[in-house]
Amino acid sequence: MAKRSGAGRRVKPAGGFELLAWYWMRISGLLLVVLALGHLFITHIIYNVESINYAFVASRWAAPKTGFFWRIWDLSMISLAMFHGFNGLRQVLDEYVINPSRRVVVHTLIWSFMFALLGIGSYAILMFQKDEKYINQWELEHGRVANSSPSTSPASSVLVDSTR
Amino acid sequence: MSQSLRTPQVYRRGFRDRLVEGLRYGGGVGQWSWLIHRLTGLGILLFLVIHIVDTFFVVAFPALYDHTVAIYSGIISGLHPTVNGYYWPLRWVFRLGELGLIASVLFHALNGIRIVLFDFWPKAVNHQKTLFNAVQIVFWVIMILVTIRVVSPLFSAPEHVPVLKTASAPAMVPSR
Repeated sequence: MAKRSGAGRRVKPAGGFELLAWYWMRISGLLLVVLALGHLFITHIIYNVESINYAFVASRWAAPKTGFFWRIWDLSMISLAMFHGFNGLRQVLDEYVINPSRRVVVHTLIWSFMFALLGIGSYAILMFQKDEKYINQWELEHGRVANSSPSTSPASSVLVDSTR
Repeated sequence: MSQSLRTPQVYRRGFRDRLVEGLRYGGGVGQWSWLIHRLTGLGILLFLVIHIVDTFFVVAFPALYDHTVAIYSGIISGLHPTVNGYYWPLRWVFRLGELGLIASVLFHALNGIRIVLFDFWPKAVNHQKTLFNAVQIVFWVIMILVTIRVVSPLFSAPEHVPVLKTASAPAMVPSR
């Protein structure tokens, strides 16, 4: 009964993979406090979900000077969150799936799904290229004043003429 | 005695018993923080799966991405004209979901910090109730401010309303 208060069921694993996972959950968790809460603060508090669209994403990932920073931020966030979140799911499911061969199946499914998600997410972050033509067309169709930056105005004026 | 994470006796019974056993441990503050931590964690993970897929549209199908995120402001666009339009209950549901997401991440983060504090500074266990109260106070102060910020736009028209003006919706394929 010595450590009953507060200790509850939390037990630090003695060693091996589970101990590494134990440290991983804490270190990645602390980093995610900054990365994920910062991300939420930017997208939901400073901006809001209704102002987010293709042009907004492009203004972050394809920004000439800060684009690299946001891509590194998002790439770290997705990697940490995927390994943290799916390891959490594994730990939860391990309490319900006891049979070793069933665990192999569950773990295989979990990690395959995780790597697929991490793959498409990283692909989106790393391979994104701003599509000026699409942004101009979108702004035109939604009654927005065409972007006045020098690179976009010729294209948009062409589009304006074509619609008349 | 602190139990082991994998006590064989607990798992010998059926799935439903395991589920109930999983929900019942210790009791008190520790049980509730543990249960909410687990449920918010699973909820955030489910959201992340959706979020990564919709963000993939940014690269693969820009127009589909814009149609998808317009749903978050209650606007169905790019489908048949009889379906397209602004649905305010849809907008409310997504706003409340957004609030739930922020609350989940915030609680998971604050309670996670509390757990890390116990692990790397064991004496903190002596103040665990104070720490849990601190987590709750910080959580509610931030959530009240967040709620005002997130809910207040619901009382004015969504920014994407011009979408409704267009007779022909943009094509679902990138215009490259």
